[in-house]
Amino acid sequence: MKLFPKNLSAALTCMAGAMVLATPALAQAKQAIKAGTVITMDGEPIQDGVILMDGTRIIAVGKASELEIPWDAEVTDMPDMVAMPGFVEAHSIDGTDRSNESLDVVPFFDVNDSLNPVDFYFEDCLRYGITTINVQQGNDTVIAAQGAIVKPVGKTVDALMVMPQSGIKMSATPKRGKSRATQAAALRKAFFDLRMHLEDLVDQKRQGLDTSRREALAQGRDYEGEDAKGRKMAGKGWVVDGLDLVPRVEVDEKMAPLLKVVEGRSKVYFYCGFPADVHLAIETAKINGFLDQTVLVLGGGCYKAIDEIVEAKVPVVLSPRLVYTETDPITEEETQTFEAKVFLDRGVPFALASADSGMESLWFQAALSVGQGLTREQALAAVTTAPARMIGLEGRVGVLKAGADANVVLFSGDPLSVRSQVEHVFVDGKQVYDRSKDPRLKHLFEGQRPAGTAVDEAAADAGRESVEGKESKDKDEDK
Amino acid sequence: MKRLISVALFALALPTAWAQDADSGSVFADVLYTSKGHALKNVMVTFVDGKITAITPGATAGEDTPRGAALTAGMIDLSARVTYSSTAVEQTNEVEASLSVAGALDLFDPEWLRMARTGTTTVLTTPPDRNVVGGLCAIVKTQGSTDIAKRQLKGRTFLRGAMGDAPSSGNRPAWGSPNSIYNRRPTTRMGVEWEWRKAFFDAAAAKDYPELEFPGADVFRAVLSGNVTLYVQAFTAIDMRTAVFLKEEMKAEGFGDIQMWLDGTAEAWKDPQLLQRSGTGVVLPPFPSNGYSGEGSFFAWFVAKDLDQRGIPFALSAHGETQAGRTLADQAGRAMRGGLEFEKALAAVTLIPARVLGLEDRLGSVEVGKDADLVLWSGPPFELTSRVLAVWVSGETVPAASTTPR
Repeated sequence: MKLFPKNLSAALTCMAGAMVLATPALAQAKQAIKAGTVITMDGEPIQDGVILMDGTRIIAVGKASELEIPWDAEVTDMPDMVAMPGFVEAHSIDGTDRSNESLDVVPFFDVNDSLNPVDFYFEDCLRYGITTINVQQGNDTVIAAQGAIVKPVGKTVDALMVMPQSGIKMSATPKRGKSRATQAAALRKAFFDLRMHLEDLVDQKRQGLDTSRREALAQGRDYEGEDAKGRKMAGKGWVVDGLDLVPRVEVDEKMAPLLKVVEGRSKVYFYCGFPADVHLAIETAKINGFLDQTVLVLGGGCYKAIDEIVEAKVPVVLSPRLVYTETDPITEEETQTFEAKVFLDRGVPFALASADSGMESLWFQAALSVGQGLTREQALAAVTTAPARMIGLEGRVGVLKAGADANVVLFSGDPLSVRSQVEHVFVDGKQVYDRSKDPRLKHLFEGQRPAGTAVDEAAADAGRESVEGKESKDKDEDK
Repeated sequence: MKRLISVALFALALPTAWAQDADSGSVFADVLYTSKGHALKNVMVTFVDGKITAITPGATAGEDTPRGAALTAGMIDLSARVTYSSTAVEQTNEVEASLSVAGALDLFDPEWLRMARTGTTTVLTTPPDRNVVGGLCAIVKTQGSTDIAKRQLKGRTFLRGAMGDAPSSGNRPAWGSPNSIYNRRPTTRMGVEWEWRKAFFDAAAAKDYPELEFPGADVFRAVLSGNVTLYVQAFTAIDMRTAVFLKEEMKAEGFGDIQMWLDGTAEAWKDPQLLQRSGTGVVLPPFPSNGYSGEGSFFAWFVAKDLDQRGIPFALSAHGETQAGRTLADQAGRAMRGGLEFEKALAAVTLIPARVLGLEDRLGSVEVGKDADLVLWSGPPFELTSRVLAVWVSGETVPAASTTPR
């Protein structure tokens, strides 16, 4: 029916226009989602709102009464539902096959190589409304692999990818088997090794020892592209003079990602499991000049290091355990600290993290945070716009506005109510989740009585009959 | 209503001196959910000496009156596994019905206070399931005297035992000579069930054959005569069936009609007819995040709604969890997520457990004359976005935890 709009003359005009335009546009037709409430995370929620999408992007968001829906747009009309931007997980170690690595310093590794697109985790993300995930290597490390920002849709790593090499994970908490001192020493040594390596390269060039270039030429090839040139080293912490003499391609591949960090061209997700670790993380970031690229990933109780965090002006990903409980060893008096409030009051940007890949997902954490004293706006921001800014995708994810990725989640009601469910999810403009067609959630919600054990057809139980009667009626309607 | 108003007037006429008492006071809420299906607006609830004396709808709050969005009765957890350590059960016998867990409770444990703070005011504590029949349960309030004799509301009413993996886990047959206490205990489901049946048969037959008498046999006879309720842990459908068949076998043998409640029945949804047929009620375990509950059982979210529609009595439990998001209130919220109506969810953590305990006259609803076990909420109860503002146990305010960061 949508192919034949009522106003035929307008349609013909548009069709003429469409012919002039490149035809592939028709393959990814315009779409409009109408919802009873649209929470844009960019100003007040809109009642009776509409989200216009063209291909993978949002082109406009506004009131249904004020925004004209193009005649050729496919319309999803959900007057009882609430639309939200998909939630953003600022830091996750899920979705990978074995998240930890036995080697201490591996910035040359890439989490791409352990991403498992068919991991149930990604399915769960859609089920609970998460559409952007920054996947990083596990916390049991010194300097870990490069992470990747992905969407939970696709059967290959390429299909998942939103932003490869999104940042490097480091840990200030001792790796298993290390003391705090050896962890600190290992962190310092990694940067020291980089510096030595770069200085060696410069020395060799200055002495005219151009062996690697000669080796390349002897093999019948030459350096190509940007990396064939030398570049003056950038860096707020320290620089090696004369690095412009060295073609960048000659920097050891194992060191290059760390050079990127020191030059401020890569994000760092610094794990601090305990308040005592915060100092080491900030010191390492400061000395090596990547403090403004650093996000602290905190364990419980790290609010105690708040002064240092405020001074360093770094954003934080909070511990999934939102309320930190501490018992005074002498008086046995219990203190329950809702950590988000401490960071909020001191103006530190913070994101919430999922407690597990199931029910206790970002929506759950946001709802609990409202119970503990955040406003709804603050709690929702901590799972959308705040993490988006942290991972460098501000304005692209975690928000519904023109130019943003078309990642939209439709809830059956208030997104923070226990009774609401994620009904539909759109990622990059494509509908990728429909609750009514989710067999696993059906199993979780409705069970599945094993054959031959459950139902005695003749049982004359009124309650049971009404249930069974309803089920069979539903089936008939489906036909 | 007439009685209610007259009591209210009586309360107003009283001098205000009693307001100083630790277990007297009043609280105002925008809505009172009584647990009996009523939602009264702008209610002042007054209590004296730990008992509710007046419920006044359409009242206005005084300046000093604690005030919140909603008020409910204190919640009751029938499977609060507080003091759940191996020292709380005597493991030298497989069947130990003569002891009560009341003697093993640590009333100084900070868990009691934590539970009270989350709004759970009364619990049924069970011996941990480390043998087949662990002993008698204790019904206690989460706050009050540290003297168990004063704290216990009722003794000798529930006998606890378990089916399934728990009683036999860690046990092993002796190879060569026995070298551990764990050599002599049942190592299979069959062994567990055999212990149950042996206990019941011996207890019943001991009337005619005194040599079969054993310590605690009298408790089993009280179970057979319906004076003590049998409270059996059964996570999986197979264990549920074993328990119900045991009950039916005892009836068929002419030994007696057992009153039974099952605990941890994650798989109740797999065989609801069995529960209907046998008139057995169930206490559901905490809702898991991914579907899997104890002993590998699968716990579907709709189970509370399903049991409700089938008329099977059930209560919810948090297994004593006090972490934000996993408390008893949150279990009620999760049951609502599975489709249960609010009033039914409220009943499943207040009125129904009170009935199961045989303490409906004192607990489980907000009515004049009942214990002043009250929970004041910042918003709609059981939503994650609401929190518990204040709790009263027998009219005494539960001290709140400090929230000033240290």
